[in-house]
Amino acid sequence: METQQMTTLVGVLDQKMNRQLKQYLDICARCAICKDACHQYVATQDFKYLPARRAELIRQIYKKYFTKTGEFVPALYEARDPDENLLDELYESTYACTGCRRCMYYCPFSIDTAWILSVAKAILIAAGKGNEMLGQLADAALFKSDNFEMFKDIIVDGFKDIEQQVKGLTGDPDAEIPVDKQGADILYVALAGAHSILPAAVIFHEAKVSWTLSYFEAANYGYFFGDAVKARKIADRFMDEAKRLGVKEVVITECGHAYRVAEIFHEAWSGEKHPFKVRHILEVIDEYITDGRIKVRPDAIKEPVTYHDPCQIGRNGGIFEQPRNIVRALASDFRDMTPNREQQWCCGGGGGLVAISEMDEFRIKSGTIKAEQIKATGARIIASPCENCRLQMEGLNDSMELGIEVKAIMDLVLEAMPLPGSFAKDASTD
Amino acid sequence: MSEEMKADLELDLKGLLCPMPMVKVSQNIASVAVGGTIRAVATDPGSMADIPAWAKSTGNELISAEKIDGEFVFMVKRLK
Ligand code: SF4
Ligand code: SF4
Repeated sequence: METQQMTTLVGVLDQKMNRQLKQYLDICARCAICKDACHQYVATQDFKYLPARRAELIRQIYKKYFTKTGEFVPALYEARDPDENLLDELYESTYACTGCRRCMYYCPFSIDTAWILSVAKAILIAAGKGNEMLGQLADAALFKSDNFEMFKDIIVDGFKDIEQQVKGLTGDPDAEIPVDKQGADILYVALAGAHSILPAAVIFHEAKVSWTLSYFEAANYGYFFGDAVKARKIADRFMDEAKRLGVKEVVITECGHAYRVAEIFHEAWSGEKHPFKVRHILEVIDEYITDGRIKVRPDAIKEPVTYHDPCQIGRNGGIFEQPRNIVRALASDFRDMTPNREQQWCCGGGGGLVAISEMDEFRIKSGTIKAEQIKATGARIIASPCENCRLQMEGLNDSMELGIEVKAIMDLVLEAMPLPGSFAKDASTD
Repeated sequence: MSEEMKADLELDLKGLLCPMPMVKVSQNIASVAVGGTIRAVATDPGSMADIPAWAKSTGNELISAEKIDGEFVFMVKRLK
């Protein structure tokens, strides 16, 4: 590798260096407690997935260029250059990480390995070794907003199709999916898929709230790719829309990383405080049920239901009770998994892994513990408010024959609402 | 147009939720030769913006994107 490129890569680490990162890199006691916390290491017993080992690769560059001892006697202190060998090792252990931060929860020093690996991604991208698929998906999202006039009518036509179903379900011929509505209270940011728009539109209609749908999807492959500038621009698409429309809050659909990007990272990236609240749709739905704004039949779901806490909403987002409140309000047999909440096991589907086909086999294997947890509940339905988690659990369901149905929480809410449309036969038992 | 052309690869993406139709086209483009085509059929309306945006941003050619009997049919040509 050229000296010039090496200097550039070390420069990336230098740019990212702050007191917190330095502390993470200095403090690891190599106790290896984190090995038993990482679902990927536990499922594969492969050293490269041990959290402290993944971070160690960045630590080796740090030792060589940011500590005196490593600079002068590199062999003794395992100090290394970011050469091709190191980068190849780094690629796999970095892009395999789901960012679940279970290792951090159990680390006695709370070392945030996922954060260290976000620095690793920045170094890989600078070396031209970022994951190509994730990069392409990020670019496609930006292309849509950069060439918005080319896509606007197509996007709105898609919404109109879904609107017909909203009219059918609510029995209201005037029900609509509002778009670009100035002064609406809520900007709802869905995924590109109809499945995340239809149930929310019905719920907002029934709750009689003032809302409008974002033109743009919440999913953020720039974040998974590891490019903070692209990630910010992808989120800017709906954050700028929210500012322009003057909404009071931005509500993010059932998507884990999108919620975390919007609620936690975007203000830091943009250096501006949002002039609105950011909430997850389940916080909103829980409130609607509690306040009686929408009704759900208490025993609408009789089969046993369990709930998977998506890492980005639960452990990393602090939302634990609202989804459980919702499920308990409509299912007569709710069974929590063990462990759960902050300690729940990652399902293995985060970090953009569901889009990386060369990791398919590894990803499914890494979900072994989650599959065992699900089986132990005896549940027939697993609900989870994250698209990546649901895709992964569908994969686990197929490959490990769990015999479960994987559902979004909003789908359960829709089934449990006494609506005059398709679900009317259920409502008659009310 | 997509009805008349024979594609090198047919992808049935019916039932997949966005963004997965775009992800599947992207994952499969390398399995056709440069100049080869993929015909993909999706049912999620979001794919009508997603797949063209992916094709254009990656420098591939979107030959057609049509709604036929409630399904979304795409013909994409690999250019590089
Ligand atoms: S648990 Fe923390 S201190 Fe121990 S090896 Fe892992 S990262 Fe290092
Ligand atoms: S964040 Fe999760 S996947 Fe990544 S190393 Fe830690 S425990 Fe493993």
